[in-house]
Amino acid sequence: MTQAAPRAAAQKTRKLPLKERYALLTRDLDWEPSYVGKEQLFPYTSYEGIKIHDWDGWQDPFRLTVDAYYKYQAEKDKRLYAVLDSFAQSQGHLGLSDASYLNAIKLFIQGVTPLEYAAHRHFAYLARYLEGPAPRFAALCQSIDELRHCQTQIHTISNYNKYYGGFHSWSKMHDRVWYLSVPKSLFDDAMSAGPFEFLISISFSFEYLLTNLLFVPFMSGASFNGDMPTMSFGFSAQSDESRHMTLGLEAIKFLLEQDEANVPIIQGWIDKWFWRAYRMSALVAGMMDYMLPKPVMSWKEAFELYFEDQMLGGLFPDLDFYGITPPRHVEDAIAEKDHLSHQVYKILHNFSFAASFTTQTPSEEHSRWLAEQYPATYPQLYKPVWDKHARAEAAGGRIFFQGLPQLCQVCQIPMAFTEPDDPAAISFRRSEYRGETFHTCSNGCQWIFEREPEKYVQAWLPVHQIYQGHCGGATVPEVLQWYGIQDGDNGEYKGSPDARSWAQWHASAAAQGV
Amino acid sequence: MPVKALYDYDFPSADRAELFGDDQLVYVHWDGNPLFCSAACFRVPRALPFGEFAAQIVGPWAASDPDFDPGAVLRWRLFDEPLTPEPGRSLADLGIGHKALLHFSV
Repeated sequence: MTQAAPRAAAQKTRKLPLKERYALLTRDLDWEPSYVGKEQLFPYTSYEGIKIHDWDGWQDPFRLTVDAYYKYQAEKDKRLYAVLDSFAQSQGHLGLSDASYLNAIKLFIQGVTPLEYAAHRHFAYLARYLEGPAPRFAALCQSIDELRHCQTQIHTISNYNKYYGGFHSWSKMHDRVWYLSVPKSLFDDAMSAGPFEFLISISFSFEYLLTNLLFVPFMSGASFNGDMPTMSFGFSAQSDESRHMTLGLEAIKFLLEQDEANVPIIQGWIDKWFWRAYRMSALVAGMMDYMLPKPVMSWKEAFELYFEDQMLGGLFPDLDFYGITPPRHVEDAIAEKDHLSHQVYKILHNFSFAASFTTQTPSEEHSRWLAEQYPATYPQLYKPVWDKHARAEAAGGRIFFQGLPQLCQVCQIPMAFTEPDDPAAISFRRSEYRGETFHTCSNGCQWIFEREPEKYVQAWLPVHQIYQGHCGGATVPEVLQWYGIQDGDNGEYKGSPDARSWAQWHASAAAQGV
Repeated sequence: MPVKALYDYDFPSADRAELFGDDQLVYVHWDGNPLFCSAACFRVPRALPFGEFAAQIVGPWAASDPDFDPGAVLRWRLFDEPLTPEPGRSLADLGIGHKALLHFSV
């Protein structure tokens, strides 16, 4: 068509300023229902007890529109996929610090990627069921972000599946394997709560309070250890993550400003979800301090910087204005920062025969780094145990835990954590409910259990499920088969198929003078 | 505080005793041995004599530690209370119920 467009039409397509387009997209597309009542259209926004007087009080500082959103995301995808292609074509995996680094990435695709998909689903639900048009649109954008993160993570990480064990069947494993029930059950807990509790659990506690502790360690670990694809994914997701953080902060401020009666409800959710998300971050602590051949920073240092300084020192003084106090049990988290990663990696090391990654006793060099990072605890408490493992291995053995562990009813992590004031005593907490005993690992998990026992008695605890006969059989090989774990995915790193391939590839490269 | 829900929220426990028939779950913790990250969980008959429980269930697990000496086991506790386990009496007789936590030291 070469015909010039009429002048009137040209005027109609005049581009409006962004602010105006955003207002049209959100407020102007909203309507008052006339065929059904508001309660029928939005049945989930009152039963949690949260009072909202003015949904237009929601401010979205990003004011995204559909066209701007897609244009920006498409550009980011183009850049990411260019990196993935060139890494795959140049055999980039051979430039990693060591094949054992990939254990961290196995944990990531098994534990985190399925959460992105779960978040996508639940934000889509919020995009339908929140009453205000602005939060609905913000939830829609986040829903699409989460789906994109899930897809790009799969594309980024699946390149390694051609060369290394443990990268297959992660979606099935997420639903079945014992350590993956930790992240899965946390998200199930959030998704089975009401929409406002979900906002505080995922948008605030997860995406705002602890995001720097949960995601940044994986991304900086990737960059330190030569994993360009994962690092590029991290960059690609960064702008989305900052938008999600802003949504989390906006959500909590909006809810607090709407009605004073909301404050104690929100405080209860912060108390619960800080501890839930913090307990899950224990897996990240173990990864940071033990799984990275080139460590970035210690868990303790990251916790002090990202949580104690930025959140307790920066955010909570601001929230004090609304009557919000720092989360319950935060002092227990601070008290265990010198212990957490050692206790968690001990679990993984004890049970990696039943995991889709491998573990190893820290080398002398790595042990020195740990002693520098944890001078008050590592040499006295944890090194002697690793030394005992090393002695057994030198004699040709490998000590695993020949049995199944006791799990916490709430976080589902083996009950390995010690008392806040006694690192030699496991912290056992016990509650009775309807004549049955329930065990929890900490003051925080016990408090969460006793607050809503009727929810947590339903927990699908992997160990108890195995004993009920629901996991493929009564023997380890039967359970591993049901998990989807293949021989060589699991166990000890030294001598594993990954370690052998790695040595072979590098030996032949050296022989060819490459 | 009850769960806030739009319906009557009432579900059975996933690990209630009846699901295990004549068996039950018992946890065992080796106090002060950090080689084991946590206590172990076993499914065992309620009628199992303690002696057999110690020798056939706890022993093989504890032997994950190459230094384990079955003859050195002492100071059994049921939760926080001292327990004198007569080898011939059953777990049920000794008051060791579903999801009970036992401790021992060496």
